Amino acid sequence: MGYLADKTVDVIRSTKSIGEGLGITFRNLFRPPITVQYPDERVKISSCFRGMPALLTNRETGELNCTACGICARACPLGIITMELGKDGKKRFPTSFSIDMSRCMVCNLCVEACPFEALGMSNRYELAETQHGSLVWDLDRLSRLGREHPASQVGQPARKGGEE
Amino acid sequence: MSSARGSATRDEKLAGSVPAEAMIAGSPSAGERELERELLVNMGPQHPSTHGVLRVIVRLNGENVVECRPDIGYLHRCFEKICEEWNYLQIGALSDRNDYIASLANEFAYYTALERLVGIEVPERADFIRVIMAELQRISSHLVWYGTFALDLGATTPFLWAFREREVLLDLFEAATGARLTYNFFRPGGVRNDLPAGFDREVKKFLEVMEQRIGEYDKILTGNRIFVARTKGVATLTAAEAVAYGASGPTLRGSGVDWDLRRDAPYSVYDRFQFEVCTAPEGDCLARYHVRMNEIRQSIRIVRQALEGLPEGDFRGKTPKAIRPKGEVYMRTESPRGEIGVYLRGEGGPGPYRLKWRSPSFVHLQLLPLVGPRGLKVADLVAFIGSIDIVLGEVDR
Repeated sequence: MGYLADKTVDVIRSTKSIGEGLGITFRNLFRPPITVQYPDERVKISSCFRGMPALLTNRETGELNCTACGICARACPLGIITMELGKDGKKRFPTSFSIDMSRCMVCNLCVEACPFEALGMSNRYELAETQHGSLVWDLDRLSRLGREHPASQVGQPARKGGEE
Repeated sequence: MSSARGSATRDEKLAGSVPAEAMIAGSPSAGERELERELLVNMGPQHPSTHGVLRVIVRLNGENVVECRPDIGYLHRCFEKICEEWNYLQIGALSDRNDYIASLANEFAYYTALERLVGIEVPERADFIRVIMAELQRISSHLVWYGTFALDLGATTPFLWAFREREVLLDLFEAATGARLTYNFFRPGGVRNDLPAGFDREVKKFLEVMEQRIGEYDKILTGNRIFVARTKGVATLTAAEAVAYGASGPTLRGSGVDWDLRRDAPYSVYDRFQFEVCTAPEGDCLARYHVRMNEIRQSIRIVRQALEGLPEGDFRGKTPKAIRPKGEVYMRTESPRGEIGVYLRGEGGPGPYRLKWRSPSFVHLQLLPLVGPRGLKVADLVAFIGSIDIVLGEVDR
């Protein structure tokens, strides 16, 4: 008799739990989806997000801040930043500049090392290319990226804190 | 397995204990007859339940594990050797990649060691920020474990739930550090940048949600008879064995040993917070499960206290212009997986002369040959690997 009672309780309990479970499923039918249809829609990324590095331009003069001093190249753990120095009287500027994005690990160390605020992390995170060679970003593309993409807020206050 | 007659293959030698008779051609011996009943199976390296690229060579009798040996090294990338070439700041970015599920725990260990070696003072605010981030990281790491452990045992719902919550955490990390997985957030003497405005509000909101849901998370698994049957009494590890094998973290505490470096060898500002060290005496997979679930609750407590007491001040202290220390230091910290130990030796150069990384996952993996042959089935082996929560990036380094 006790066995039968136990079984009955079991059956009632299981039926109830199935009902509860389906209830949750049913409620979710009327909720908006939390997924994002990626290439068409994008999630909003934080203003602090750091994607790939970019060369920053002086807003007023429209010239690159970079003086091709090479400090970022030394700070880079992987040694993937290369540049060539050009001189025009006293002015120093890079005649070429490249970052090998196939190896970059987006660690932000080059940005922190730069004393001229010439480098910044852009918010670009789609790094795929159709050709192997275009993974190495040259001066043109890096400065265009710096003009088009807002630089990450991260890393900027760090230099002030570190050198006091 | 009759192919073993004549000569044992490399794998069989690796799996060990091929009887000597079996290697000599001739009439089938007792050892060979035994071998015929047994089967050598490679679990991994591309098996989803091995959490990465772990290969386990399992000798089976029917479904029972007779012997199992982990074969590691598929992710080896010379971390310690690279450290001898790089400077101290660059290694911070690389240390993230050891235990990539809990990157900040690695940075915490490395920078604490470096600061002790150089003698850098860390401002109070920086220490609090570090603790907040490290404990949030512990929650996110345990969430990944919770999801994948349940997934290993055939439950899909917890996985989706855990990643839903982790997504919120990753957004928080993104707002504070700029990255979602490998943060490179700590610096000698503090952290790179201050917490963004409104960060504490967002964290508190998350903690409230997490606190509500953790009970539900616990119930869906412990209330499930199949889950309990798959974990209770499976792969039991006694306290003495856990200590002898150098287990640490939740794996040690799941065997009833009351040991937590945050309380017993406090570093940073952990001695200022009230929290319990969670233990469970049974030593089986379910005990390790309970320990980790309770640790999420305790981490929530710590983050709350740290947010309440977050002092004003600098987020980065004064550091010497060039970091070129001489001497050696050993520092250990409590990561979500156990004890990370960093041995650092500097000889006045821009980088260390030697860096040795003790990773908990590597140590825990050595429990596999011990626990495997104790009447475990293949499915129990999966449960055990899930319950010790290994990250192969840390095992191979």
